[in-house]
Formats: sequence, structure tokens, C-alpha cells
Amino acid sequence: MSASATPQVGEHQIVLTTSDNATLPVDREVAERSILIKNLLEDLGVDNTEAIPIPNVNEAVMKKVLEWCEHHRKDPPASQDDDSDSRKKSTDIDEWDQKFMQVDQEMLFEIILAANYLDIKALLDVGCKTVANMIKGKSPDEIRKTFNIQNDFTPEEEDQIRRENEWAEDR
Amino acid sequence: MAPAFTELPTEVLQAIFLHLDPPSLLSVARTCRLVRKLSADAPLIWRHFCQTQFKTWDPQHGIVAKFSGPLSDVDWRSVFVRRVKVEHETLRLLDKVLESQVDRIRHINEVADFGYDVKEVLLRECACDDGKEDVLARRYYANAILERVQRELAVEVWGQLDRGEDVSIEKALAAYDVFTRTGEDVDYETVTRDLDELVQGVHRQYPEFRTLSARAKASTLASFLREQGFQGVADSSYRALRNSFIGLVLRSETHDSLPLISVAIYCALARRVGLDARPCSFLFHVYTLVYAPKDYTLDGAYKPTSSADLDYMYLDPFRSSDEVLASSLQRTLREMGIPTAQHRAFLSDSTTRDMVLRTARNVINSVQAIRQTETALHRINTTWHMAYPDMDNAFYATIWAMLVLETHDDTGAPGASPASRRRQYLPYLLEHFQTHYPWDVALLQQYVIPMFIHQPEGQRLMSFVESMRRVDGMARRPSRRDPGATARVVFRVGQLFRHTRYHYEGIVIGWDTVCAAGDGWIDDMGVDSLPAGRVQPFYHVLVSDKSVRYVAAENITPCEPGTQPSAALMKLAGRHFKRWDGARGVFVSNVRDEYPDD
Repeated sequence: MSASATPQVGEHQIVLTTSDNATLPVDREVAERSILIKNLLEDLGVDNTEAIPIPNVNEAVMKKVLEWCEHHRKDPPASQDDDSDSRKKSTDIDEWDQKFMQVDQEMLFEIILAANYLDIKALLDVGCKTVANMIKGKSPDEIRKTFNIQNDFTPEEEDQIRRENEWAEDR
Repeated sequence: MAPAFTELPTEVLQAIFLHLDPPSLLSVARTCRLVRKLSADAPLIWRHFCQTQFKTWDPQHGIVAKFSGPLSDVDWRSVFVRRVKVEHETLRLLDKVLESQVDRIRHINEVADFGYDVKEVLLRECACDDGKEDVLARRYYANAILERVQRELAVEVWGQLDRGEDVSIEKALAAYDVFTRTGEDVDYETVTRDLDELVQGVHRQYPEFRTLSARAKASTLASFLREQGFQGVADSSYRALRNSFIGLVLRSETHDSLPLISVAIYCALARRVGLDARPCSFLFHVYTLVYAPKDYTLDGAYKPTSSADLDYMYLDPFRSSDEVLASSLQRTLREMGIPTAQHRAFLSDSTTRDMVLRTARNVINSVQAIRQTETALHRINTTWHMAYPDMDNAFYATIWAMLVLETHDDTGAPGASPASRRRQYLPYLLEHFQTHYPWDVALLQQYVIPMFIHQPEGQRLMSFVESMRRVDGMARRPSRRDPGATARVVFRVGQLFRHTRYHYEGIVIGWDTVCAAGDGWIDDMGVDSLPAGRVQPFYHVLVSDKSVRYVAAENITPCEPGTQPSAALMKLAGRHFKRWDGARGVFVSNVRDEYPDD
């Protein structure tokens, strides 16, 4: 979609403008999975027809995020007192979300950042779980390889860490 | 350009880490400096681990208050690390307990010193895999240590009650559960939670409950309990041991209970809904007394009075939700021949202490009922392991409860000091202690000896405790097999057998080349009238009724190959054996200190 073309905007739809100037029409209900957008729309009033700029998210990522929002448009909204540590932490992810998250690492991080910025808690959660699953059961070296992390510890620090972690060693 | 992993915002990285298990978090923390710092400085994650990795905490942590307090008040990483260390240390000490007879009591008590923090790790060991090389011993001692820990928690509660501290009736009675039973849901918190849930049910079902008069509240509460299935117990199973354990009653499907427990549950709920209900120690039956608030009648009418007496009524939640008239209780007393002057004692409210002691007597009655029917039928009680809770644990609980709490002389006999009243329980305590729970030596030292500190018993107990500890630390003298005298000792430690004359089932746990008992025992038992007399090997044997006996070789009939030991014996065997070796038809010895060649 070129930046200049005026998209068809249906009833109950709004338009988002991405960082790379793409304009994406989307059902208001779907867009409101994002608390950021929802609050913005509330501030702008019901009869707003102007495009909403999303300067931190590019078109490819935004489309992906909207695909998720579309699928989850009928989910109950996250409750307010959903404190991050009272929630049951499990790395179980439902099947559709798992498929959805089968993207390259670059896109995965982009989705997580977008979800964080757009305030879509459930999507951020799925993203974090996906990354957590990539870490689980791996050695430090394997994790470094997976995420291309530079080992910046001195040998002395490595020793110290080993001592600090002795409590966790299997007996 | 997409960010690298380490460039993700701190809050996102911490959200990711919140989904990790502790080993994975440590792993990722070892990848680079930034992640290490992030994971170490994240109390949220460590508190989360404390909440999700463990369920049971020792009371000393005050963990519930900490969890709901400000995050920064607690060094959650240290709390978590300390707890993990305790579990590792517990497993290490348990291995030592299983490895050697030397210092066994010391090691058990070292684990017990960690308190309730060891519950979860010990329960896991109690459920260890059937294929484990020391499965029977591991399960036996893991359970024994947990019971030892829980007994202390129970005795503590009774001690608080004795010192006049505020102990709720449900906690004082749940101490019997904690003393006697083990399991994930055996603790004070579970009892509290179960009662809280019942209370929520009351308000759900009767939204207008708060506006009712005391009388209406009282009967509504009683009806509610009956609707929930709390309907006492049928006469046929009145004596069942389980009816006296409040935790068990709350959790069981039928909620079978004795009147005392029905009343205790009623009073515990009443307190939670702001109704003043107390137990009433009637003759042979516990009732509930419900009082109106001061200056009000039971029906809610305002009636100011200078008198301290409150309007009251009786209920029998064990039998019905109907009010019991004082006049009918008085009539019952008269019919039983109780002089009117004494009626007041039976009709007024009684204390939590009385309820604990009365429960002790109920438990003793139940245990005696089990013992009588069992031994009358079989001579040897082999179905004890089907009775729940364990009757020896239950009986032992009553001795402790009475020892701690029965210090007040209510018979009016002059000159009876607490020590002299307590003295009568000592022989029972010591018998149970020596037979089943020698590792309670630390409890004896901490709780019993101070009771007799200025009495001769105190001195005797002290030297007894010292000698037990000394013997525990000494290497056992090995009974080796050699080509000489021991050649006649045909059976080895671990042999499953039946007694030739009495047919009971047992396991050989030790032997002597000739009868090593004293002359008195030899005479009493008529050893010399045996065909082979006293000069034949004698075996120490563990019998399926929990007893240890001394049997002449000629009375040992080894079991046929392929014989399976009974469930009762399997449960006991862990004290001396690692596992049952079905292929060889023997128990694998764990008393190799004493019998290295068996």
C-alpha cells in the first residue's frame, strides 16, 4: 500500500499511520486491543476521522500486531489489578499464538517492543513467554549463541559467579 | 533495525525473566554483565520464585505478611537462596540417616531444626520412585522426620494454650491433625482456609445474615452446616478414630465427626461471623452455648442491663439445627442422678483447654476400641495400617496433650501439684517414645524435662537423654559371620518368615548364636522347655503389628519363594531395610553396621 493512496475506511473503522508512512484501516474494536490507541481515541472523541500516527512501529510489524489483535478481538480485556506477579506464570502458550510467534528473532523482538509501546499486555506476555521458552534449559553458552550475546565477563568474574551460584548446584 | 536481546528495555527483559524457572534464570544471568545485574537486582522475580516454587514456610518467616508487604522490605533473593539451601541440606542429611545407624538420631534432629521449611522436600521423598535402591528406608525416614517436625509444631500450640496465650479452638484441635498425620494439606493454614470458605458460603447463601438476630443467626449457621453435610456420625462408626480430627473432618467427604468436633467447627464459624458461641461440656456430649451481645436479647431487642450475664441458648449442631432447651438438659442431668448443685458445671461454657483434653479421652477410647476388636480377633493386630490416622501416633498425641495441658486440678483433690499430675503420663510417653519415636529425644529434652526440673524424674530423664545421645553417636558393635558359632545361624537379616506356632508374619532384623535374654525372661517364656532349649540361635524379629520380638530358631518358618510381604510389614520395614527384593524373596538390610555380613 502506497503512502499517498487513501484507503477505504468503513464504518467503525479508524486509520493508523505507521513510522514508514503506511496507512492502515482497521476496525476500531481491533485497534482498541491496544490500550494506548484506546486512550488516544477516547481523548480524540467519537467522531474523529483523522489518521492516528504510530511513530514507533513500522508497517510490517504493525500488520503482524493487528493480525494478532484481530484474532483476539473478542478476548475479555485484561483486568486492572492484574499485577504481574500475582498472575500464574507459565510458559504455556495456546496453539494459535504459538504459530503466530513462529517468526525470526528480529520480528519477535519488534513485536514485543510494539506490544510494549502500544500497551497490549496479552501480546507482550505471549512474546515474553516465547523468548523465555528459547532460554529454558539452555546453558549460558547456548543462550549467548541463540541471542548473539557477547560474553563480557573477566575470568575472575566468572569464578565469582560460579561461587555465588553454588547453592543452586544439584547435590 | 531490530534491537539486540540486551537492548530490550529493562522492564521487558524482567518480564521475560519472570517466566523462567530458577536454573534458567541463573543460566541467562551468566551470559553477560548486563543480564547478571538485571536478574540479581530484580526482587520481583525472586519474590515470584518464593511464591511459586514453595508452598509451605516455617512460621518464623511470617511469610504471608512479607508477601503482602512492600517489595523492597525483604531481600527476596536471600530468602529464596536460603530456602533452596535448606532443601539441599535436608537431602544430604537424609542420605546420612539412610547410610548409617551411627548418629541417626542426631541427623534426624538436625533436619528437624530447620522446622516446617523441610515439609515439601520430605513429602517428595515420601513419594519417591518405587525403583529407588533404598525406597522403603527413604520413605520411612522422610516421613518419620516430617512427623517429628510436626509434633513439635503441635506441642508448641498446646504450650501456647497452657501459657494462656490466645489460641483459637480450631488451631488447638488441629494440633492433633498436625501431630498425627502428614500430607500436603495437613496444617493449620488448611484448617483456617477450609473454615473461611465455609463462612463465605454462609454469606453467599444467606445474604441477609448480618441483619439477623443472634437466635436466628445461631440456627441459620447450624442449618447451613447440616446442609453442607456436617451431620455428626452414625452410631455404627461413632468410635472411628477419624471423627476426632478437625482437619480430617473438614476435608473428608462425609464430614463424620464426634459432637465435640461438630461444636468446635460451629464455634469457629460463629466467631468468624460475629456470633458468640462457646462449647459446653455436658455429660457424655458436647453442646454449644450461644450468647446474645451485651444489652440485647437473643431476639435482637435492646435491653440494657447492669448485669454481666448475657442472654443465652443451647444448640446441638451434631444432631440438629434446633435449639435445645435448658430445661431438657437439666432433666437429663436429674435422670442421670447428678445433684442440682452440680448442674451448673455441666451447663456453663467450657474452655479450649477442656476441649483438647476431652478430645484426648475420645481418641484414647477410639484407640482402645481398635485394639480390643483387633487383638480379640487375631491376637496380632495386622490391620493397624488401615486405621487412619495411625493409632499409635494418635495415642502418642493424647499423651503429649495431657502432659502439656492437664496441669489444673479440677477434681479438688488437695496437694496435687502439676508435676505429680504429669508424672502419671511419663511411663506411657517413654514407652511410645522408645518403641516408635526415639528421635523425639530433642522434644523430651526441650519440653518434658523442664516440667520435672525439680523432681527426681527430671534428673533421671536428663541422664536418660544423655545416654541416648551417646549411644546414638557410638559405632555399633558388628556381629560378624565366621565359620564357627555363627554357622548355625541359618537365617539372615531380611528373612521373611512365619512363626511356626503362632503363624504371625515377621522379618529377621538381628540374631544371637544362643539365647541372650536374661534368666527371668527365659523362665517366663519357658525357653528351656523348647526342644532345642536356650542353646540355639535366637532372632530379633520385626512383626507386622509393629512389635519387635525375640524368637527361637526352631520357631522360624521361612516363607516360600514368591511370597509377598503384607502391606503392614512393607510400611514398617523401612526402619531397618532398604527395599524388598522380590526375586530373592528377602528384604535388603540397612543395618549393616550391626550385621555387616548379612
